[in-house]
Amino acid sequence: MLLAQILLNGLLLGGLYGLMALGMALVWGVLNIVNLAHGAFVMLGGYCVYFLFAGLGVDPFAALPAAMLAMFALGYLLQRYVLNLIIRSAQLNTLLITFGLDVVLTYLAQLAFTADFRTINPSYAGANLTVFGLTLPLLRLAAFVAALLLASLLWIVLQRTRLGRAIRATAQNLTAARLYGVDPARLYAVTFGLGAALAGAAGGLYGMVSQVTPYIGATLTAKSFVIAIMGGLENPFGIVLGGIVIGIIEALAAIYIGPTFTDAISFGLLVVILVARPTRSLRSA
Amino acid sequence: MLRAAILALCVLALAGVPLLGDEVLIQYGIDALLFATLAQAWNILGGFTGYVSFGNSSFYGLGVYGTAIAMAQLHWPFGVGLAVGAALAVGCAVLFGIPILRLRGHYFAIATLGLSATLAAIIANIDIAGKNIGLILPLTRADAAFYEEALLLLIAATATVAWIAKSRFGAALLAIREDEDAALVMGINTTRYKIAALTLSAFFTAIAGGIHAYWITFVDPGGAFDLTLNVRMVIMAMFGGPGTVFGPLLGAFILSAVYDVLASSISTAAALLFGLVIVLAVIFMPRGLWDLAGGFRRSGARYLLQNIRAHRL
Repeated sequence: MLLAQILLNGLLLGGLYGLMALGMALVWGVLNIVNLAHGAFVMLGGYCVYFLFAGLGVDPFAALPAAMLAMFALGYLLQRYVLNLIIRSAQLNTLLITFGLDVVLTYLAQLAFTADFRTINPSYAGANLTVFGLTLPLLRLAAFVAALLLASLLWIVLQRTRLGRAIRATAQNLTAARLYGVDPARLYAVTFGLGAALAGAAGGLYGMVSQVTPYIGATLTAKSFVIAIMGGLENPFGIVLGGIVIGIIEALAAIYIGPTFTDAISFGLLVVILVARPTRSLRSA
Repeated sequence: MLRAAILALCVLALAGVPLLGDEVLIQYGIDALLFATLAQAWNILGGFTGYVSFGNSSFYGLGVYGTAIAMAQLHWPFGVGLAVGAALAVGCAVLFGIPILRLRGHYFAIATLGLSATLAAIIANIDIAGKNIGLILPLTRADAAFYEEALLLLIAATATVAWIAKSRFGAALLAIREDEDAALVMGINTTRYKIAALTLSAFFTAIAGGIHAYWITFVDPGGAFDLTLNVRMVIMAMFGGPGTVFGPLLGAFILSAVYDVLASSISTAAALLFGLVIVLAVIFMPRGLWDLAGGFRRSGARYLLQNIRAHRL
């Protein structure tokens, strides 16, 4: 029974992890930027929802679209006017500049919002369902469902719309996409904005199941990275699945091996996966 | 000739700093010299082959713990402690490098990301390493001696890099950076070269860790295996000029000074400015300060805009 409950908790948290990694994987796959500021976007999204909820009394789930819109705008502007300037320089430089952005956003958040822990705590936060003797926290379930819905939405946008086709074409071959009339500067900015919007949504949900501080970004970036690699960069559902796997592994490791080892285990697993699947890593070298 | 004279003067001037007798200055100096060594060590793999390692903080931690265990638990002398730390780090570099260095690009960087956290978790569960609590080393008040040791180490690391830059070994590393498949086709055993570079890098990093441990006299897992330290190595090397002999030193000295000055006055704003400096540096001088100096001589302030023009979408 304990095992089943642990698996359930891991599953619910893992869906959220998957959503978090979606934005990173999208940007990585299309722009070939590993965005080290991704966790900071998640953090900012968390604050957006928190202040809409605590300041204006908006229901946190209703506040999600607003947070996504704000983060889309931020991502769009950053890519259009900063990252596009260096996108063709060495790969290392994109890592470095997004790291710099991460530092800037983290400390701006500390100045603006202070280092206090914030939790988005709506009236229904404590509600539970009991199914077959398992406790199912409603808020976490809702966050899980919202994560799945957003992943599906992304899939539909990528597969069925003009924008999605342009994004996929650019990911495959920038020059060819350009010849077919795609404006890469704009498309890159839109894609980066979409990644930031997904991060923002994940941040809002994260604030409901955990706490938001200015410093949560770094570990969330690392986690998103692990999940993006595990799930592959092409398929949103693969990434959600990767998130669920990591969520379950962490939950199991925390109980059976000890909480100090959770990060070590997810990274150990990552190394094993990377080394065991060399063809993939060679292809995108 | 002139260059050699200038270099000798710089070394003499640095070596003479403890004579001024300013204790705070000496302590800043030790920090800056050790950081420069770390940036230089990172440069051996990161700058020359383009493989971004986030595992160097774990070599640092192994150097710290090798020295600390040897001195605090086994009561061996400092020199032996350094050797133990270096041996641990080199062993780890070889063991870890063989599977990991087959990965390329981002994948290598990320695979190394977890090493520090993993080692910290292991160390925190070993009795002889003092578990979570850490170890206390014998106290010596000899900042001037630590300063000269750090300087010697930096000179050794820089001499090694200078040799690499001129040698066949270095040419092979650069070939790997420019096009690894082409290097393979040319008959370079890329894996062996990469492991050799990682091992050298680990060696200097571990010695720097050992010196720092003995100087500070206290070690704990969180402080020893600190990923932000690794990030600082990368930034200093990148800021100065990766793949050059003196770029990483320049980057380390300038950023250490900037950071110390800012941190003593305004801490949050210091970190903020640090981030901004990185962003602007990547945009305007993507090949580092060392290249900026040459670029300015060629084309003046236009150099900055040329960088944007060359790398924008």
